[in-house]
Amino acid sequence: MTMLSSVAERLYWMGRYLERAEDTARLVAAYNHLIMDIPRAAELSWDVLVRILDAEPVFYQQYRVGNEQNVLRFLMAEHDSSASIPFAVRCARENVRTTRDVLPEETWEQINELHLYVIDAAEKSVGRRNRQAFLEEVISRCQRVNGMLSSSLPRDHAHRFLRLGHLLERSDMTTRLMDVGAGEILGRPGTHEAIDPLIWTSLLQALSSFGAYRRMIGPLVEAKQVLEFVFQEPLLPRSVAFCLAEIRTELKPLSNHEKALRTLGRGRRKLARLDPESMSREELHGYIDEFQALLAELHDAITVSWFHPETP
Amino acid sequence: MNESWKSYPSGTFFDELITAKGQPREAARGVVRLLQKLPGDEMAERRAAAELAIREMGISFTVYNEAGNIDRAWPFDIIPRVISARQWQGVSDGLRQRSRALNHFIQDIYNEQKILADGVVPADIVLDSANFKPQCMGMSPRFGVWAHICGSDLVRDGDGRFFVLEDNLRVPSGVSYMLENREITKRVLPELFENYSILPVDDYPSHLYQTLASLSPRERRRPCVVVLTPGIFNSAYFEHAYLAQGMGVELVEGRDLMVADDDTVYMRTVDGPVQVDVIYRRIDEEFMDPEVFRADSMLGVPGLMRAWKAGNVAIANAPGSGVADDKVVYAFVPEMIRYYLKEKPLLASVPTWLCMREKDREYVLQNLDKLVVKPANESGGYGIMVGPHSTAAVRRKFARLIEKNPRNYVAQPTLALSTAPTYIDDVVEPRHLDLRPFILQGKDSWVTPGGLTRVALTKGSLVVNSSQGGGSKDTWIVEGKV
Repeated sequence: MTMLSSVAERLYWMGRYLERAEDTARLVAAYNHLIMDIPRAAELSWDVLVRILDAEPVFYQQYRVGNEQNVLRFLMAEHDSSASIPFAVRCARENVRTTRDVLPEETWEQINELHLYVIDAAEKSVGRRNRQAFLEEVISRCQRVNGMLSSSLPRDHAHRFLRLGHLLERSDMTTRLMDVGAGEILGRPGTHEAIDPLIWTSLLQALSSFGAYRRMIGPLVEAKQVLEFVFQEPLLPRSVAFCLAEIRTELKPLSNHEKALRTLGRGRRKLARLDPESMSREELHGYIDEFQALLAELHDAITVSWFHPETP
Repeated sequence: MNESWKSYPSGTFFDELITAKGQPREAARGVVRLLQKLPGDEMAERRAAAELAIREMGISFTVYNEAGNIDRAWPFDIIPRVISARQWQGVSDGLRQRSRALNHFIQDIYNEQKILADGVVPADIVLDSANFKPQCMGMSPRFGVWAHICGSDLVRDGDGRFFVLEDNLRVPSGVSYMLENREITKRVLPELFENYSILPVDDYPSHLYQTLASLSPRERRRPCVVVLTPGIFNSAYFEHAYLAQGMGVELVEGRDLMVADDDTVYMRTVDGPVQVDVIYRRIDEEFMDPEVFRADSMLGVPGLMRAWKAGNVAIANAPGSGVADDKVVYAFVPEMIRYYLKEKPLLASVPTWLCMREKDREYVLQNLDKLVVKPANESGGYGIMVGPHSTAAVRRKFARLIEKNPRNYVAQPTLALSTAPTYIDDVVEPRHLDLRPFILQGKDSWVTPGGLTRVALTKGSLVVNSSQGGGSKDTWIVEGKV
């Protein structure tokens, strides 16, 4: 049973947007924690979040200052900004609306409820009091949809394209998150011995991977080891290596997969070459940029191979 | 008898469930008895259960207005309409006869035009009609059938006799609601299904699939059939998705299809182009192919007509079928039946005055307050004037419209439409209704047992369209005595 390219494309974007909603919530939640732990002198600013998501131009069209209120309103309650949680949820929902017949019956209901919840709660959750509860609720509802899909969707094209979107978005968001730790983006020269472990810990927490790190690596949180763990650990479901390996598994059975597999191969080789030990912060930041460009190429390869192929 | 039934009037109109003496009709006896015995609050509970089922099943239709499109829950009345199988047999035969004659007519018009040459139907009313598509001349689709899916609107008059009001041959809709209505009734009044032998309707998607598959130009065990929709913003999108799912075929939009240099239609899939054999189009032919019809159409598939004319794809209904879906042409259907089939019409048509004829026009203009005036070429109940319910100003407006463009108007007597008991607020009251059965015509022909009953929920109203405050009922064709 084959699948219309347009349906595959919607499923792929559904996978991406659902993951984006969850990861954005994770990012904001982690940063929220971090900021409370950091001494004033370190002066972390909120607009880092906007920079991580490459949303500066849009943000500064609407806001003058990147302060807490503005940044969080932009990411949590602005329905029309493409970096916001409500936007990602709405896009996920729109993509389900037209693919309901290939997804389990509960999908539409659950995603619709998530959408209604976000519309209802986002505005009043920008302030500190309700913020964390809102983010946790978004994360857990996204997880519910993913759990339901992974336990009832047949492993055919529908599952495959959903999963490709999900994995690619996750790799992208994970590398963006690591960029925070790279420091360059924080605009801080040199090392801050005191706050570095705090930053790396909060990043691990954002990935729900702190416990796994302690068990598999040890209690000491160090930049280089965290980077290796998050990029290269093959057993960690949120690691980039894990995501790329899974993407390969999904691409393999598809016809016309040569282009995408080639691009993926380049990504995996680049990943293997990552050596945080010998890299400066600037180099690391540059590496992450290049890696994200490769992920964008992989997206293009998927698009041109299965969604919008050249007409024969 | 519970309170809600006590004041039910009888004898004013022909009521399909209750006789003039206030007794249930034979076929409806079981339904009426059960509902009359239910305690009043249980009627309300059953209705609430129906509303819940509608929400859960996600049955909705779209209404357009200035504020945008609104998805509304499907308005449903829990009291089924009951017709005996014996009576239905005659209607069903009549519908198949009509469908055959109409298809002969379309085939003739796009080929020899014998019926025009013989003067049975005036040539100008056919050839000057916007529904006549010269691009289709010379085509001869498989089995000579053009209108594969026909939705004919029937009404019953003061004597309970069935009349055909119009034949929808372009993209008739509503069949999914017929199927959903039965599903709801099964949930809400399950005890009735024990004692009644009700002809099932839920095999419609498989009949539809067989009809469509029989049109395939390629001999294949499972030809590639698709449903072509204008997209999610169309008011009938729900039905398009429903039917595609029911047949297990792809629901496609124009951009999912392409016509290659070999004049063959392909759908774009993740495994590459896949050849399409049959297209069930739910998009108006005007938007179907920008190469031939409206060039600004974003919904269509460039080259579709080429592929169809080359015989590489079947399209249902065939482009051009609308030539027989016109209220002026309607007036000639009894003639067509005699002309092509050499048979007597089994189903009555409503007497129709054609404003293009001087004598008819004079009569219509003098009797506007008694007649129903309809534009020849509209659907959805738009632009209709019901004389007895109209104001003098509206009648003046229609008189001007008729004189300006007589070809575009027909008039019919206002029929005393039949009623059926309908649960309004807390009371059961008579409401007027019509019936849209669906006739499938491919290699074989088939008629839905029953069809979609639409009911005018406003007291005294004759307008049943869901876009204008109409509701619907489950329709039962029942066998034997109860």
